[in-house]
Amino acid sequence: MAEQETSERSVEREIQVPSTREETWQALTDPERLGDWLAEEAELDLRPGGDLVVRTDGETREGFFEEISEPERLVFWWGEPDAELTRVEVELEEIDEGTRVRVVEARPLVSVEAVAIAGESGLGGTAPQMSASMSIVA
Amino acid sequence: MASATMRDAVFDALADPTRRQVLSLIGERGEATASRLARELPVSRQAVQKHLASLTAAGLVASRREGREVLFRLTPAPMSDAVGWMAEVGGQWDTRLAALARHLGSGPRS
Repeated sequence: MAEQETSERSVEREIQVPSTREETWQALTDPERLGDWLAEEAELDLRPGGDLVVRTDGETREGFFEEISEPERLVFWWGEPDAELTRVEVELEEIDEGTRVRVVEARPLVSVEAVAIAGESGLGGTAPQMSASMSIVA
Repeated sequence: MASATMRDAVFDALADPTRRQVLSLIGERGEATASRLARELPVSRQAVQKHLASLTAAGLVASRREGREVLFRLTPAPMSDAVGWMAEVGGQWDTRLAALARHLGSGPRS
């Protein structure tokens, strides 16, 4: 049931690449290499709470990093300016043929503002990770 | 902004398993009253009415009065907005990941 609920508010994609996990991590986090697959221009402050700005075809997305666990997990939030942010989770798993890259982009269960307010008033106990990150946006 | 708010309401409405059942029952019947839905679900008529209220607020169902009955039916537009979001974001990742695979397939190996 939990899976069903997730599927209605998130998108999941997976691919396998022939590279090692470390090599794949570099391709995901080096701004120069992002140009080949994600965005023409990228500014990344690779640390929890660090800013993220990517531009492609005149479209800008801004956000921040929630988690950086080299070389296996990367979580960030992004969105067009003034639009709702979505949460993107990227996981790299070592497999015999190389690396499996799994991406989940999800819409938050509650609005960014609500979580930030809950975090400030000490009500964010059920989602400490989220409220900690969210207060940066607010 | 209005459509993002509406999308939130749709996703919240769809997050509940009973509300999803209510939706699919209405879909099967075409139109149904709260009492009729309650007979087919393991919840009270009052609970069904609450679910119908939030589904109505999300724009997923609409109602009309016929005599003493209120009949509910599906309104497909917001649902397709939610589905549209998934299709759009999924398509973007298909494109990005295909490009990533090309990048890694032909790029330098460390």
